Amino acid sequence: MLPDSPAGPGGLNPLTLLSAAVVIAVTTTAINSWAVSAAVLLLLATLLALNGLGRKVLPAAAVIMVPFWLSLLLTHGLFFHEGRTILWTAGPVRVTAEGLQFAAGMGLRTAVFVVVCLAFSFSVRPADLMALLTKYRFPPQLGFVLCSTLTIAPAVSGRARRIAQAQQSRGLVTGQGAGGRLRAVQQQAVPLVMALLHEAGSRADSLEARGFGGRGPRTSYREVPDSPAQRIIRWLAVAALAVFLMLWFGPGWFTPGGVR
Amino acid sequence: MSSSSLTLPASGQAAGRNRRLLEILGGASIAATYVYLVLAQPTDLTNGLSSGSTLLALSGFLLGAVLLIAGVLPTVPTSTLVLIPVALVLNIVLGQFIGSTLVPFYLDSVGTVLIAVLAGPAAGAATGALSGIVWSLFNPTVLPFAAGAALIGFLAGLAARYGLFRRFYLAPVAGFVTGIFAGVFSAPIAAFVYGGTSGIATGAVVSAFRAMGDSLLSAITKQALLSDPMDKAIVFSVVALLVYALPRRTTLQFPFIRRHRVLAGAKTS
Repeated sequence: MLPDSPAGPGGLNPLTLLSAAVVIAVTTTAINSWAVSAAVLLLLATLLALNGLGRKVLPAAAVIMVPFWLSLLLTHGLFFHEGRTILWTAGPVRVTAEGLQFAAGMGLRTAVFVVVCLAFSFSVRPADLMALLTKYRFPPQLGFVLCSTLTIAPAVSGRARRIAQAQQSRGLVTGQGAGGRLRAVQQQAVPLVMALLHEAGSRADSLEARGFGGRGPRTSYREVPDSPAQRIIRWLAVAALAVFLMLWFGPGWFTPGGVR
Repeated sequence: MSSSSLTLPASGQAAGRNRRLLEILGGASIAATYVYLVLAQPTDLTNGLSSGSTLLALSGFLLGAVLLIAGVLPTVPTSTLVLIPVALVLNIVLGQFIGSTLVPFYLDSVGTVLIAVLAGPAAGAATGALSGIVWSLFNPTVLPFAAGAALIGFLAGLAARYGLFRRFYLAPVAGFVTGIFAGVFSAPIAAFVYGGTSGIATGAVVSAFRAMGDSLLSAITKQALLSDPMDKAIVFSVVALLVYALPRRTTLQFPFIRRHRVLAGAKTS
């Protein structure tokens, strides 16, 4: 989610996007089959590419998923002693078909979860989310923390850069062993945290002066796009998911393997 | 820094009771989910477990974290609330950076522990939970660990409350103990939700234990017990350095610091 994210695809309400993301993630996790996860992932990648979101979501997902897949491959691909079908062995290393299948199942299932969550994040504007939180009477503090974090992140990195430049102009030299590096980090971290705390203090005064600490209901002047059709779709999606989960995990007759 | 509005009416007792109820329900949801995951599941993760436990872990911990936030956040004074985004940015930036290196640590709770020391266990718990939820907008894999982050914030606040930040050498000890709890708490989440850890360095440690014949849950718990206590000892030491480097004028603005004499030399009000 970025402060300047575009409006949801096709003017969709963030709740509609969220319910779609939850339905996809929960269903894929419940089914827990690498083939289903791979098919859903392929479908999602195609949809996102067609939508124009693919360029943002897919690289961001890859940054998270590549180390995760490597970690799974290391753990289950090489040392899966529950596996019976041995493909290759060398010393303690034992590559088994079951281990690779387990790693693929977990890796692809998590990839679907990551891609749908990131697709939601990249399609929703923080201001819309804050308006929705206000509308549904969530604590106003939650909206403040959420939006404030997303908007101050670039300001914090800018300030950290300026502090580093200021310290370097005073003769700070980094890269002289571990001790030198640690001192350099301390000389930059302490002024940064102090500046952030000071700024936060003045922000608190401004917020209080505008009645932020009050307990009364809030009004949002922002209209978030919504329609009766979207409301119906959201309820139907949630109801369908509940029915699916009851059938999938409930009566043993629905699935050949019984309760999962 | 002001702490409450002088012009608007204070909340009633009923609202206070509702918030307390939300906190209790949040804590109960997290505890029940953890106990269920540990006690009711077979130790062999590879046979038949997976999806039901994953969904239960995700929903139980997330519900608990959300209830905790809903219960605690409205009670946090504005002076502390404005610090939470700063803490979250510190967590996210440090966590992302360390996560991308080949070090089996996380350092993703500096901001949470800082808030816990300045403002107490409840604010620490809410910051931890919020950290997991907000960070998940950039990295969804941290979402199930929001409840664990809340536990770290709560324990850090308790350590500060009982004077473990008054002596510098006690801060890493408190961090080490907090890390043991955090490791034992987060291991079943990593095992049941992801079937492993998300970093290459931590994955290498897990695979080393697997190579020695440990079950997956046991290997991840051992890795967590190696990484988490050291990680939290470092985090608590860094936070102790930071709070003592801050001007006394700044730290004494926090009622929690004054009331419980959290830092050495800080006079009670």
